[in-house]
Amino acid sequence: MSGIVISRRHILGMLGAGGAAAALSACGSSIGNDSSSGGGGETKSIKVGLVIPQAGVYAPLGVDMKQGWDLWLERHDGKFGDFTVTTVAADEGETPQTGVPATQRLLQSENCDVLVGIVNSATALGLRDLVTEAKKVLVVANAGAEDITAKGASPYIWRSSFANGQVSGAMGTYLAEENADDSVYVIASDYAAGDEALAGFTTAFEKGGGKIAGMAKPPFGKTQDYQPFLSKIKSSGAKATFCFFAGSEAVSFVKQYRQFGLADDIPLYGSGFLTEGGVLDAQGDAALDVQTSLHYTSALDTPANQEFAQAYQDKFDAVPTVYAVQTWDAANVLDRALKASGSADGDDLSKALGGLGEIDDSPRGPWSFENQTPKQKFYMRKVEKEGDGYVNTVVAETEPVGQGG
Amino acid sequence: MSAWFDANLVSILNGAAIGCLLFILAIGLSLVFGMMDVLNLAHGAIFLGGAYVGWKVGGAAPTWASFLLALGVAVLLGLVAGGVLSAMTEPLRNRSHLDQALLTLGIALVVAELLSMAFGNDVRGVNAPPGLDGSVSVFGNAYPTYRLMLIGVGAVLAAGMWLLVSRTMIGAVIRGTVADREMISAIGIDNRKVKLAVFAAGSALAAVAGVLGGPIYGARPGLDATVLILALVVVVIGGLGSVRGALVGALIIGQIESLGRALFADAASFVLFGALAIVLVLRPQGLFAGATR
Repeated sequence: MSGIVISRRHILGMLGAGGAAAALSACGSSIGNDSSSGGGGETKSIKVGLVIPQAGVYAPLGVDMKQGWDLWLERHDGKFGDFTVTTVAADEGETPQTGVPATQRLLQSENCDVLVGIVNSATALGLRDLVTEAKKVLVVANAGAEDITAKGASPYIWRSSFANGQVSGAMGTYLAEENADDSVYVIASDYAAGDEALAGFTTAFEKGGGKIAGMAKPPFGKTQDYQPFLSKIKSSGAKATFCFFAGSEAVSFVKQYRQFGLADDIPLYGSGFLTEGGVLDAQGDAALDVQTSLHYTSALDTPANQEFAQAYQDKFDAVPTVYAVQTWDAANVLDRALKASGSADGDDLSKALGGLGEIDDSPRGPWSFENQTPKQKFYMRKVEKEGDGYVNTVVAETEPVGQGG
Repeated sequence: MSAWFDANLVSILNGAAIGCLLFILAIGLSLVFGMMDVLNLAHGAIFLGGAYVGWKVGGAAPTWASFLLALGVAVLLGLVAGGVLSAMTEPLRNRSHLDQALLTLGIALVVAELLSMAFGNDVRGVNAPPGLDGSVSVFGNAYPTYRLMLIGVGAVLAAGMWLLVSRTMIGAVIRGTVADREMISAIGIDNRKVKLAVFAAGSALAAVAGVLGGPIYGARPGLDATVLILALVVVVIGGLGSVRGALVGALIIGQIESLGRALFADAASFVLFGALAIVLVLRPQGLFAGATR
């Protein structure tokens, strides 16, 4: 049975490439006409495919991303420059097996001009050829694999989120400055993102003179109980722990870190996803005093963020997360690029994105594209209790850093 | 030796706690499969249902009253769910395991989706009730009080189950059904009622395990599949339809998941299934299979 599915997918894939090329030539000519006659106040339209997880373990991120996207459009009359925006959402699911076909459908059946979204790094990497051949711009609004923009870059793939090593590297540099004499134990889920996060932290921390006390990689998605690893951390004599976990694993790890008595003696540091969004509520008091690095926190005291957070709170009755901001910013850069290019053509848009310079009104603070991925500030955040809820307050912030910087 | 013991004491203790939870979860699966020859793949979904009951009824930070109430609600829901499952699998009783697996897997998927619609896709954390939510010092190592209590609850339940099955009339019927179903119906006991009762009781225990497991595993989409696999491994290792088998299987799996992972950290992802493979090769019927199987 699986043989049939695979062969059918291959055939669809081949049809897809041809179909996309055909659609593209048709599109290209019509847009060309538009832009030659346009330029004034004439309304044009652009169709955006929003690929976000609507089911499965990443579904909570999908909700936040959709809300960030919807909020931006609502506050800007549903328009990017002169273009009226039509959004078509598709379910990314959990894996490339669902995410790639969903994106393919948006390109072929829906003839979308631009793609936004993608939570799973493997899906983002799997879309490279499809998007490049179709010559459509994809703005990755979450997936953090290094190769999406560095080695494996496509001229059409831009990123409004982060690179895994960039987030943890910021923490490595910070910790090395704060207490370089202390040795740190590092632990992360055993998969690509965890590996990249550990590599980013270790490189930056050792560069600053820090020492690694030990390393562990619990199996990804198969570990419910971290006690064996916690015992190892304890016996290693480390003065601090750095970790990378997300979703339900972040909840289990942070709770058990406190239950087994490590939180009081060995402070816990991590990549910001450890305590971002819904997982923080589930962790509850166990997360207090955990410190993480991230390019956003809802507690940022800037006018842009205050306004954004208030609007988000009013509309969705929720505290905004980094996932919402990344998608908000994807809309923001597309708006700026379309104003500059006046054309939704992939090559024009890509060129315009490259010339944007600093994005000065983002809730996360000023950032700019460097090699098609954000060069941005990172915030050292500490979990504190605020009323009935929990919040990541800012302890320190870095200068803007790029990927691998 | 004593240094080794000191270093791994927490792991051993933790293996016992996880093992006790797994026993409560797996005993129903083992009895239903062993006695009634029904492979119930919806067992994990019932556990997850219990976990959500614990979160919804008990609250994220339960009091003793709300925690016990959640346990009561879970028992009721588990009994009902077991009854429904028993009725639904009745037409398939003479069909192959594959047919039963398809039906119960379908039910499991539907239930999991309904739970996700009802409670959302977020990870729900649950605290232990007051007094058990802290840690105690065990030979100088902090250990969560709640998990110690789990060991006690598991021991009491295991003893109770053993008494029930080996010392009472009900137990005699259950053991008789495992050994020879036709003979039991020949002496005038309605097989379907026995199946209904065991199914309901087993499902109630799975739901209870869900509530008890809340402070450790939380409640989240996908947890049903995770615990179902653990329960199936326990049943395969322990052997079908035996209380002793389920208990020993669960304690072994607990130690493998805890001590095994501590000792062989690099092999953590396959140490569980490695143990399963060894048992399947050396003793395919399980360590304590019923005499006739």
